[in-house]
Amino acid sequence: MENVRKSKFNDTVMQSVFFMSAFVSVLAVIAISLFLFLRGIPAIAEIGFMDFIFSEKWGPVNTPASYGILSMIVGSIYVTAGAIVIGVPVGLMCAVFLAEFCPAAIYKIVKPAVNLLAGIPSIIYGFFGMQIVVPYVRDNIGGNGYSILSASIILGIMILPTIISISESSIRSVPGSYKEGSFGLGATKEETIFKVVVPAAKSGVLTAIILGIGRAVGETMAVVMVAGNAVMPLDKIALLKPIRTLTTNIVTEMSYASGLHESSLIATGVVLFVFIVILNASLSLIKSRSSRN
Amino acid sequence: MKRRKTLELILTISVLSIAAAGCSKGQSKEEFNFEKEITVVARDAASGTRGAFHEIMKIKVKTDGTETDNLAVGALEFDGTDKVVTAVEGDKHAIGYISVGSLSDRIKASSINGAEPTEENVKNGSYVISRPFLLVTKENKSELVEDFLNFASSSRGQAITKEMKYIPGAEEEAEYTASGLKGTIKVAGSTSVTPLMEKLQEEYKSLNPDVTFEMQSNGSSQGIKAAIDGSYDIGMSSRELKEDESASLQRHVLAIDGIAVILNKNNPINDLSSEEITGIYTGKITSWGQVK
Amino acid sequence: MENTALEKRVLNKRKTKSLIFRSLVWFCGILTVGILAYILLFILVRGIPNINMEFLFGEYNSESLSAFSSVVTTVEMIVISLVIAVPVGVFCAIYLQEYARRGNKAVKAIRLAVDTLAGIPSIVYGLFGMIFFVNILGLRASVLSGVLTVSIMILPVIISSSEEAIKSVPDMYREGSLGLGATRLRTVFSIVLPTAMPGILSGVILAIGRIVGETAALIFTSGTNVLENPTLDLMASQRTLAIHMYMLASEGLPHSKDMAFATGAILIIVVFIVNFAATKLAGRIGRLSNGK
Repeated sequence: MENVRKSKFNDTVMQSVFFMSAFVSVLAVIAISLFLFLRGIPAIAEIGFMDFIFSEKWGPVNTPASYGILSMIVGSIYVTAGAIVIGVPVGLMCAVFLAEFCPAAIYKIVKPAVNLLAGIPSIIYGFFGMQIVVPYVRDNIGGNGYSILSASIILGIMILPTIISISESSIRSVPGSYKEGSFGLGATKEETIFKVVVPAAKSGVLTAIILGIGRAVGETMAVVMVAGNAVMPLDKIALLKPIRTLTTNIVTEMSYASGLHESSLIATGVVLFVFIVILNASLSLIKSRSSRN
Repeated sequence: MKRRKTLELILTISVLSIAAAGCSKGQSKEEFNFEKEITVVARDAASGTRGAFHEIMKIKVKTDGTETDNLAVGALEFDGTDKVVTAVEGDKHAIGYISVGSLSDRIKASSINGAEPTEENVKNGSYVISRPFLLVTKENKSELVEDFLNFASSSRGQAITKEMKYIPGAEEEAEYTASGLKGTIKVAGSTSVTPLMEKLQEEYKSLNPDVTFEMQSNGSSQGIKAAIDGSYDIGMSSRELKEDESASLQRHVLAIDGIAVILNKNNPINDLSSEEITGIYTGKITSWGQVK
Repeated sequence: MENTALEKRVLNKRKTKSLIFRSLVWFCGILTVGILAYILLFILVRGIPNINMEFLFGEYNSESLSAFSSVVTTVEMIVISLVIAVPVGVFCAIYLQEYARRGNKAVKAIRLAVDTLAGIPSIVYGLFGMIFFVNILGLRASVLSGVLTVSIMILPVIISSSEEAIKSVPDMYREGSLGLGATRLRTVFSIVLPTAMPGILSGVILAIGRIVGETAALIFTSGTNVLENPTLDLMASQRTLAIHMYMLASEGLPHSKDMAFATGAILIIVVFIVNFAATKLAGRIGRLSNGK
């Protein structure tokens, strides 16, 4: 009797321990947003929302200082778009390859390779970019190599594993009857895949792209080594010109910043954070939609 | 079916080899092009090297109360000396600036107004770009910190400074004897001073084995800030102190360092005037043809 | 007659199109592996020749640029972060899979939070760590601040892989245990967790990979300091291996580039081992759930 009561007691205690552990994630998200906003919002208020978001003048060491991050917002968007343009077609094709064409023997090589690609630290990608991609772009394409293009190439490679593994599993989960139907109508394997299977897997592919965007927007260390970090006026931004993104703005300047400058960098982080939260929200929207269908 | 597979294989291989060919032709060496745009390489705004260079070269302009850094649009900004060197090493048309102590055979240093960045020229002022390496402390510093500063300005410390290609800051050469003190010295600040500081610490520790150092290499302004608020014992700065900073700090000139303007080894130009440098860094001169 | 000729032409066109698609798909598959191989070979070929005993186990100084103390810090950081994050993460997964009712509001909030945590970029974790642990809690730039930041960062990896693993434990195991009169708690700890262990471990290993490769979140929390000899002091500011590589790629010390390659090679070897182990363990849990 005593034993049963004791174990029941244990059960309840542990259940609350489990619950509290589960709640740690919620607390962490609350703490992260709270402290970022507490430091960032007053800075935005002091700079002025319009002057912060919609001004391209970034001169924190000038007197009077200016803190406009528009050119970094645009920079982040360009670099991410470039990564998507490069990473998505290759990743999607590779996912089709893995799911539909790849012989078992080759699958055993390619699949772990994709996983390994996901595990390589961003600093290695950055170093690789600085030593290989930047000189390649400089010698063969133009400009001085530190450019939107180089950053897009590196980010495009970095989002490959995300795109590939999520697209692959969603392609695999397309019911076989779709394919059989298409074959029955006389379509070739390739036609079936690109006209039937991939469209049927589109919510998975979309998820993959959004996660890819999230990774590309948030990437710091790889971009800082290849993008050149120049603050560009909007009309001077070009594919082969250097660029500064939200993330690299934080990492290059944080170490010495103080006062309003430091807060403005945290506010840059707030903008990034809000962007990621919006991405996450659209992701769960897609998830709930596809589960309803 | 078999034929089709072979065909596929051939197609894949040909596509791959085209791609590979595209990659390999990248090594061709083009001639130095005087019309091509100059790649301007600067440091991040944290850097004391940047602070000093931009001020001396009038890239940063002060007019009653306002201060504007007119760095050229599109100039690369890097948060480390090696990144600057890497960028200039790989790009024929690039220009950068680094501490003279960090010069290596990967790049070449330009002379300025005809003067090479040698110790003599820096000392007699014919080489115009130099700045002090400062160690800053609070007024009431510990015995240990005092001892380390004595060591740094002693003949032994100066020998290391010279060995690192810097010009010693102290005039007289005092002897230093090991004090046998114990404790930790916390140092933060300039990335440019860090290599010299590391050497000095290594030597100091061989004399006083019970002393340990904590080093944070995070930029001059940060080091000065840390020394003011007392979170670190010594701040390293590679630029002069601003007025509001010098009020609460003691400064010790560790060394004088020339800032070298570096060019790619394939650049035929070997001498630049101050005006040309200012022009390049403010974006008024955009190709090497305008310099020649 | 004419009709069939047209049909044939259309068919041929379709076949060519298919062939092009097929080769494109093969090309992309091979390209992905090719890129990986290129990156790995590039770092390993230039890095491994620079790895020597002094670099691996020596004292850090401006000559050796030894990675030893960074390796020790990395290991220390892995161990302590796992001690913090694994119980929290696994308990969270147990709650979500074994205890929570579906559609429960708290569960929705928790899932949303885990998804959000997984999506936050490491630089934002770095900012948060700097504001909260370093400044507000006053832990300064220290290994402890880094550990706490990283612990939050790896939570989602551990939670989701543990959830998957627990989900894949066949229900009949639980029913059997409950039928024999074991409590729910007992069932969880003696039946569910041991069965799910390989999957949980593969998540833990992925988390290790994430810690080893992390830079942006640590640069403002555990700092860039390097001590000549390893220390396990949690309050010391110490760099990890990945930050060591970043600093070597930024600093202008002689051979720092070679040593950056060497550090990169070590990182790649570690990631290789980590991935291999995770795949092996995940393979085991895969077989388990297939065999049910």
